[in-house]
Amino acid sequence: MKKLFALAAAAATIATSMPAAAADIVFTSWGGTTQDAQKITWAEKFTEKTGINVLQDGPTDYGKLKAMVEAGAVTWDVVDVEGDYAAQAGKNGLLEKLDFSVIDKSKLDPRFVTDYSVGSFYYSFVIGCNKDAVDGCPKTWADLFDTEKFPGKRAFYKWSAPGVIEAALLADGVPADQLYPLDLDRAFKKLDTIKQDIIWWSGGAQSQQLLASAEAPYGSLWNGRMTALAESGINVETSWEQNITAADSLVVPKGAKNKEAAMQFIALATSAEAQADLAKATGYAPINLDSPKLMDAELAKTLPDAQTANQVNADMNYWAEHRDAIGERWYAWQTE
Amino acid sequence: MVAQTETESAKHYAPVRARRPTDFDLTLPALGLLALFFVLPVAMLLTRSVTEPVPGLGNYAELMGSSTYLRVFANTFMVSGLVTFVSLLIGFPVAWALAIMPSRLASVVFAILLLSMWTNLLARTYAWMVLLQRTGVINKMLIGVGLVDKPLPLVNNLTGVTIGMTYIMLPFIILPLYGVIRKIDPAILQAAALCGANRWQSLVLVLLPLAMPGMAAGALMVFVMSLGYFVTPALLGGTANMMLAELIAQFVQSLVNWGMGGAAALVLLVVTLALYAVQLRFFGTDRLGGS
Repeated sequence: MKKLFALAAAAATIATSMPAAAADIVFTSWGGTTQDAQKITWAEKFTEKTGINVLQDGPTDYGKLKAMVEAGAVTWDVVDVEGDYAAQAGKNGLLEKLDFSVIDKSKLDPRFVTDYSVGSFYYSFVIGCNKDAVDGCPKTWADLFDTEKFPGKRAFYKWSAPGVIEAALLADGVPADQLYPLDLDRAFKKLDTIKQDIIWWSGGAQSQQLLASAEAPYGSLWNGRMTALAESGINVETSWEQNITAADSLVVPKGAKNKEAAMQFIALATSAEAQADLAKATGYAPINLDSPKLMDAELAKTLPDAQTANQVNADMNYWAEHRDAIGERWYAWQTE
Repeated sequence: MVAQTETESAKHYAPVRARRPTDFDLTLPALGLLALFFVLPVAMLLTRSVTEPVPGLGNYAELMGSSTYLRVFANTFMVSGLVTFVSLLIGFPVAWALAIMPSRLASVVFAILLLSMWTNLLARTYAWMVLLQRTGVINKMLIGVGLVDKPLPLVNNLTGVTIGMTYIMLPFIILPLYGVIRKIDPAILQAAALCGANRWQSLVLVLLPLAMPGMAAGALMVFVMSLGYFVTPALLGGTANMMLAELIAQFVQSLVNWGMGGAAALVLLVVTLALYAVQLRFFGTDRLGGS
């Protein structure tokens, strides 16, 4: 009898929890400290406000996203993706159009807004250096590509994405305003000159580990990772000279089950306050133009926002259009 | 009439039971699961290799016609071969020592071997990263004793991959070898010595030929396992040592080009199955478990 009661209770619990479960949304990002911060500054606030639970999943996987959309079994509602991917996937019909009656785009940095995506946060590729490990630190991309003045290994982002090719062209003397269309031949020729001295990092944590251990005493890193390294007490220097910006974007996969809640989530995540909170927690820059006002002036100084004078914007639309072609060439070159 | 006989005989052989499930029947649920969650998805990916982006063998032509991809194939075989060779080189003396050492000591060594096998692959790979890096334990020691004056590049290259993979593969070569060597009658080695063979001759002319089946079985298994390795090369290797599994992951996840991903996967599958067939044909399955 007792058993029967327990069973009935269990069934009742399941039954009552069903409607709640159906309203949960799933947020997918890249894991690590960034997603932890997104959880605290966005998801928990969202649940407080709307009562909708936000389940965390990750890491973001474009293959998985495509498989879900094609199979009509989309379990992700909001996904944090790279900006160039967002622009491409929107064109390829993998994403829902965003509902800008729910999301207020008037305050969002227009560089990172498309019909299918809004910025999640933005970051800069900067020149990082472990001061304890070397005599001098490279200040410019040209320095970072100069193995005579700066011998030893240097760390670069492994995947085909905006950042490294731009850096190579800038190092070779291409003016920032003439980067696009990218001269790939010239970029790879420049990259060839330091190929033997590159260690590729495939994730943020690895880039920090390489720099901190001086396996690669310098390299091109995400600015937020440099901030975190400095905070952890490692003697590092960051050069913002021609820092190259790229953004992550928030998207809703086509056929997402909780579209409306997903739009509300994005609306909150891109609000001035949520963006300011995330920037505080990660060292990445807010994409809401009102956010810097809400932030401590000292902190605001350390963000890519404060470095616009010398900033180079990676062209997400160019990348979206040529993502596949560049990618194939990139990976072929890497294995050579 | 027939029914009658059956009841009759049933009476004789009581208690009546349904046919006893054979071993094969017992594996059916597991096979069903495998078919549903492994064979079917793999088949679907492989199908894409001839349907995406357009029907035909275009993906295979691209795969075979590109020097980049051929280099990845060649590299996969080269790394697997190297790992197999080094594993044999280290594994043989260990297996031999295990076979002749006192059983109490041998069980300790076995425990160490198995413990390392049961430890998480990622944890072991990261451990190597920490040991091998420029400022890692090994380089610090080498510099400390004055053997080298600047750190050796031991990771993010072929050296790192070979060390990391050999370490993981060693048990798979030691166990079958141990099984074979232990069965060799020590009297045969004594006989060799009595006939005037020195130690080297007894090793090369007597012990090695007798251990050959175990060596071949272990080597083939390590080679086949190495072909599909992903985590260790990805973490300890550089991009110039890319292996086939990494290429497939890149097609599927990063380039989202499933046609090419499927084609590369099929090539890997065919090579692996062919080698596995060789293994079955010459060594059977009973030698694989180190029995």
